[in-house]
Amino acid sequence: MSFLHPLALLGLAAAAIPALLHLLQRRIPPELDFPPVRYLSAAERESARRLKLRHLLLMILRTALIAVIVLAAARPLIPLRGGGAHQPTAVVIILDNSPSSGAVVSAGPVLDRLRVAARSSLARTTSADRVWLMLCDGVLRGGTREALLAIIDSTHAGWQRLDLVDAVGRAARIVDAQPLPGREVHVLSDLQRTALASGRADVPRGVRILALEPGSAVTNRGIASVTVSEGAAVIELGGSTPAGRDIPQPVPVTIRIGGARRDRAGGGGGGGGGGEIAARGLATPGGSGGTMRSAVTVSLPVQSLAPGWWLGEAALEPDELRVDDRRPFAWRVAPAARVTATPGSGSFVAAALAVLQEGKRVSEGRDVVISGGEAAPPNAPHAIVQPPADPALVGQANRGLAARGVPWHWGDVGTPGNLVAPQLPALDGTPVARRYRLDGASDEVLATVNGEPWLVRSGNVLLLGSRLDTAWTALPTAPGFVPFIDALVNRIVIGEADVNSAEGAPRVEFRTRGTDTVGATVFGPDPRESDLTPATPALVTTAFGGRDRVEVLSASALSAERFSGTRRADASAILLILALLLAAIELAVATRTR
Amino acid sequence: MAQRLDLLDPAEVARLGGIEIVAEGVVEGFLAGVHRSPFRGFSVEFTEHRAYQAGDELRYLDWRILGRSDRLFVKQFEEETNLRAMILLDASRSMAWQGTPERLTKRAYADRLAAALALILLRQRDATGLVTFDEQVRQVIPARVKAGQWTRIVRGLLDTPDGRGTAAHAALQRLTALLARRGMVVLVSDLLFDRELALAALRYLRHRGHQVIVFHLMDPAEVKLTGPPEVRFRDPESSVSVVVRPRELARAYANTVQREIAAWRKACRRHGISYHHVQTDMPFGLALRLLT
Repeated sequence: MSFLHPLALLGLAAAAIPALLHLLQRRIPPELDFPPVRYLSAAERESARRLKLRHLLLMILRTALIAVIVLAAARPLIPLRGGGAHQPTAVVIILDNSPSSGAVVSAGPVLDRLRVAARSSLARTTSADRVWLMLCDGVLRGGTREALLAIIDSTHAGWQRLDLVDAVGRAARIVDAQPLPGREVHVLSDLQRTALASGRADVPRGVRILALEPGSAVTNRGIASVTVSEGAAVIELGGSTPAGRDIPQPVPVTIRIGGARRDRAGGGGGGGGGGEIAARGLATPGGSGGTMRSAVTVSLPVQSLAPGWWLGEAALEPDELRVDDRRPFAWRVAPAARVTATPGSGSFVAAALAVLQEGKRVSEGRDVVISGGEAAPPNAPHAIVQPPADPALVGQANRGLAARGVPWHWGDVGTPGNLVAPQLPALDGTPVARRYRLDGASDEVLATVNGEPWLVRSGNVLLLGSRLDTAWTALPTAPGFVPFIDALVNRIVIGEADVNSAEGAPRVEFRTRGTDTVGATVFGPDPRESDLTPATPALVTTAFGGRDRVEVLSASALSAERFSGTRRADASAILLILALLLAAIELAVATRTR
Repeated sequence: MAQRLDLLDPAEVARLGGIEIVAEGVVEGFLAGVHRSPFRGFSVEFTEHRAYQAGDELRYLDWRILGRSDRLFVKQFEEETNLRAMILLDASRSMAWQGTPERLTKRAYADRLAAALALILLRQRDATGLVTFDEQVRQVIPARVKAGQWTRIVRGLLDTPDGRGTAAHAALQRLTALLARRGMVVLVSDLLFDRELALAALRYLRHRGHQVIVFHLMDPAEVKLTGPPEVRFRDPESSVSVVVRPRELARAYANTVQREIAAWRKACRRHGISYHHVQTDMPFGLALRLLT
């Protein structure tokens, strides 16, 4: 038992008043003549036992009356399993309104069910509690109950994924830091399995994690990402399927090309080019459980290959979760680079350029100069520089680089090895027999040999560790040499179109530098939100701190269990009734037993 | 209309004057209120006439005198004057107690009651005497019917001081020797003594052929216990004391008193003794009427 006003218990000392009065009243009484004392003595003899019992009873009743009134004033709280008030509790209500909460299950959004539970939790709080609300943005919101109720009421499915393990860990630390008797975290989430994949939350002892059990698993298919490469859009699909439904299924996909964005840096680009393309892909189950992974490749129309920034949107047929059924995407088609190769760049480069020129991938010009390092780097907007064939010229070439402001230079001869180039898959594994070590710092390393930079970019200059010659590397004889040169002159040295993805409402935001568009960010829900497979109670228990801290409960059980660790009923009313009863008994004993 | 003193509050009546005045006033009122002489019948042996008094029975009216002289006389008979009444008055210390100053002490009440009773008896020409006692016999006025007897009785009452203790049974045993001739014995006392011993003496008187009448006097404060929250009550005669809380003992005390009265009444009835419980706030007339 605990008390809301424990200081009032000091008043229990008043319970000694009846006994003290009894002792203090033992003064010498006044003496009066009264002839029939014999009658008095007889009456007293007859009543002695009754009077003694009465005195004892009255003293007990009065002492108990004072004690009960003092106890009532202290507002005792007795443990209860049912309703009732509870001890002051620090509680974080995690209302997971991540995109997956918008899934429609049993004719209603999951979020509605979570919101009801959150309101119920909040309604049970008292002014003595400390309450925070955490939504999918991970921000802890404090405030009055009314303010938090207003937030809950106005909450809709958000666009951010909530890592429940991290959220529970932070919430547990917050409540654990509060000097209150009760500490609870209410997890109101669809408990996606993917939201619990980040390990195990560090939950301090004494913090109760009450998680609302997830609903039934539903089938969902969503667009995880869309990438455009070489005239085709690759649509990655994700989602979940109930256990047992692991047969590949065709997936209709619709691509809308929204048109080009004029791009000065891109050299003009084309206009128009809008249209809608329907395609079908095959979604096949992959990974573990009911996770679905598949990709659909859709060729883009020819007009969309015109230089410039392009926007598009991929769409699936509507299903239970709508937010992942559409996803915008953007890509850039660069204009053909105007390239000049110096005589020292080698015959293989000249041959590759000839091929590209024939295919109209490059044209004659000096936007990009490929040099052999035999002289100072050409004063061109963009340069691709190979090391000089004569080692004696390396120093001169390095001075030329330094004059241009390139922080890299060729150093000692490096050991042979194979190329490693994550961004240029065609180069991976190509042997390099001869090379110079590239010394420098901070700029972008595009390929390495033996862990040492082999291809680096510094501003508008690309620096190679080897000459593009078969005496140095097998690359000129590899099938990917021409595409490599194409990539170097059209994408890498000019600056690859920077298309990032981020969480948020589906849209595309372009980044500009001056008047040039230098990149784009495609917003959409996290692909993991498409997987609606709920976590098992065992996984939830493990992820949230263990069996001794976590309870996964149904809505009714959650309603009964929340605050139950500290739930108390205010017994003051009962005590006051008892006090009235004692007073009535005392009155009866004091008057009726004379 | 003149007020009848016998029906007024005894304390108020006592303020009118001494015992004689009060007793005469009470007796006048008392006799005016009854239609026959209170105590005795009349014998067939005529002795003399006396003036008619209110309350005399009309059958004893001498019609001849009425017819001749137009005056009212009643005929008296010989046996009427043969009654010998002895009033035994308890003068113990406990009798000198009063519950409140506004009320008469039991002794004062008993004096006036005895005086009035004696006056009535003497007016009927009954030989009346007085014995006062506490632990000893203090005054003995033999029963006479001659003139001035009432004055002697009153003086005897006045000359008897408040006693110290009560050993009534001893006094009563001595009295039995003084009351040789049969007659009426009226005991006026608060009966705060041993009941069995006192009853033995009264029973002896009864056995000797006396008509015994007991007036049990009590102050109303002795019937209903009141007082401060806690008090030490002390018996003025024995100095025995007891500490009580009157409020919580009141009911038990009242029961004890009623039980004591009932015991006296029952014992007296068993032995042919007339028992009358009188509180000192009872008008004298009502107390006297108990004897009729």
